[in-house]
Amino acid sequence: MAPLKSLEQEYPILDSNFQSFCASHDIFSVEDLLLHDLYVLAAFAEQESSSERLKQGIAQVLSIIDGQHQPWLNGIELLEDAQRNKHVLSTGCEGIDLLLHGGLRVGQLTELVGPSSSGKTQVCLLAASNVAKKHIGSVVYLDTGNSFSPQRVTQFICQHSDPAIDQAKHRTLQKVMNNISCKSVFDIFTMFDVLHQLEFNLRSQMQGGDCKVQLLIVDSVSSMVTPILGGSGSQGHALMISAGYLLKKLAHEHNIAVLVTNHTVGGDGGISKPALGESWKSIPHVRLLLSCDHGGSICNVSILKHPSMVESFASLFTMCAIDLSLSLSLSVRPFYKLFLLHMVFLFLFTLFNFFSSGCW
Amino acid sequence: MEAKGWISGDESAKEMLGRVLSRARPFLLLPPLHRVPLRPRNVLEIVGPSPSAKTHLLIQAALTCVLPVDWNGVHYGGFDGFAIFIDLDCRFDIFRFSHLLKLRLASGSVSEIDREQNNNTIKRSSIAYDEELYTLCMRRFSYVRCYDSFEFLATLKTLHYRIQKEKAYGNCVHMLLIDSIGAFHWIDRASTCLPLRGSNRKSHSVQTVLETVVQEIRKLLLLHPMLAIATKATLFGNRAMNEAKWNLRKPDTSYSQIGGITALQLPYREYMPSAWQTFVTHRILLRPSGSEY
Repeated sequence: MAPLKSLEQEYPILDSNFQSFCASHDIFSVEDLLLHDLYVLAAFAEQESSSERLKQGIAQVLSIIDGQHQPWLNGIELLEDAQRNKHVLSTGCEGIDLLLHGGLRVGQLTELVGPSSSGKTQVCLLAASNVAKKHIGSVVYLDTGNSFSPQRVTQFICQHSDPAIDQAKHRTLQKVMNNISCKSVFDIFTMFDVLHQLEFNLRSQMQGGDCKVQLLIVDSVSSMVTPILGGSGSQGHALMISAGYLLKKLAHEHNIAVLVTNHTVGGDGGISKPALGESWKSIPHVRLLLSCDHGGSICNVSILKHPSMVESFASLFTMCAIDLSLSLSLSVRPFYKLFLLHMVFLFLFTLFNFFSSGCW
Repeated sequence: MEAKGWISGDESAKEMLGRVLSRARPFLLLPPLHRVPLRPRNVLEIVGPSPSAKTHLLIQAALTCVLPVDWNGVHYGGFDGFAIFIDLDCRFDIFRFSHLLKLRLASGSVSEIDREQNNNTIKRSSIAYDEELYTLCMRRFSYVRCYDSFEFLATLKTLHYRIQKEKAYGNCVHMLLIDSIGAFHWIDRASTCLPLRGSNRKSHSVQTVLETVVQEIRKLLLLHPMLAIATKATLFGNRAMNEAKWNLRKPDTSYSQIGGITALQLPYREYMPSAWQTFVTHRILLRPSGSEY
């Protein structure tokens, strides 16, 4: 918040006399004025010699404060803004779309909770490819675990298109892939940087064009927040809540749908519950619980929280069964390499032992 | 003479009660909190864990506030005034508000609300309601959202002028609704107290922010008699659940939806400073029935 000195240029009534009067009451900036009782200050100003000018200064400061908060809206204006801007983005997955009455709502923060390998990243990739392809908007994908897979996104995009000429298909594919921008973030401070930069870009860019950001995906927010939670200080929680509010502000002010993923931890009685604790519960608008049965391709999604639905609404859906095996093999290959390396080392080690013991 | 006049008093108790009660506002009965009689200048706090319909209660209160008492022969039983909603949680869904308002208008009476709302098969388009009254009620709902405590304080400081402006048009504000008073608790708590220039300078902390909030709301309630309702999320989990887990004492069986529990038996950990706790006049505890989250 600006110190009062810097406001003198724009508002000449806040001159040095006013500043020294405020300084005598330990007020040096607008933030201090917010924490003080302005009527008491006006009463003190009465006793000063230049009381009229001081009271005018206080009135000027009040009008500056009036510009510090968001604008007041009545119900009709809110409804018009929501109907015009806050539409629904389909995720490409029928089960989730059915459950959410159409898909991810612009202006809301949707959280996808699930144990590991329950398909959260797959849903994120599917949603990104669907929005980039169908909604003529761009997607910002913040990846914390190197799980963004362009091959998988290509599969999703090319899956439903009719077999046309390869060149045209290649060009549309390139255009759609250009709409998805993926950034790797590994800690919360980098995420704040990226989000602030995004906010700045959105505020300064002109309306329109097809490069308007429609969807922001953070996969996963819990892997960035969990390392800083805990301990006796409250900084971790404060950072988490600030990140949540920044995401909500981006969603509402710039008409973006935000999708974040979270993992589960063990709760009371062995039932798993979403991570990040009680304070995080009031951040997302919609919470969905995702679970995949072991080895199968049937996923179950149910609502944990929704502004207008009771929990326990659930739906089953199939994640593209054929391609799941393909993506599995892609991720298993590096493991085979490691496994082979380990076997080779073990063999050499036993050989060495054998020879060394044999010499003796 | 003067002393005698001073001793004999201005009026008898009967006259005073007759004067006050004839002009006094009736008790404000908000559905579904029929059993909690509230008056203007009361401060009601609704506490509960995250998915426990606190915002829903606020919306119902706002609807009761903006609806007229009677309109075109139908009795709605509202307070016929403006409602001011300060959204600190930033999760307010206007479609939900609009849908609930249409349901209220269609049903026309308060007791059928729960039955209507549980019936999920009612399509939104098929509800018949009075367009003019709907627009009037939506216009009476004032909304602002705040992304941090500075914006909240700025809103409160300038609220008086806004209410005065509305009064100049002949509109009366009857309710001040704050969604999630503890929304910025962690952020304010972690604000570092750097040594500031001037030893008496007020630093930004939970204490000072909430003291200022209480001061501003108190002044507002003095100048404009209205009812203040604030929701509060329990940030630290359920105390009885935690203690049962730690085997410290047996689970408290004295839960009730309307706060009749003494301070020692509160099933959640209170994190608001005492300035706020003493300011609240009524407290309601909510919890979802039979849910693990």
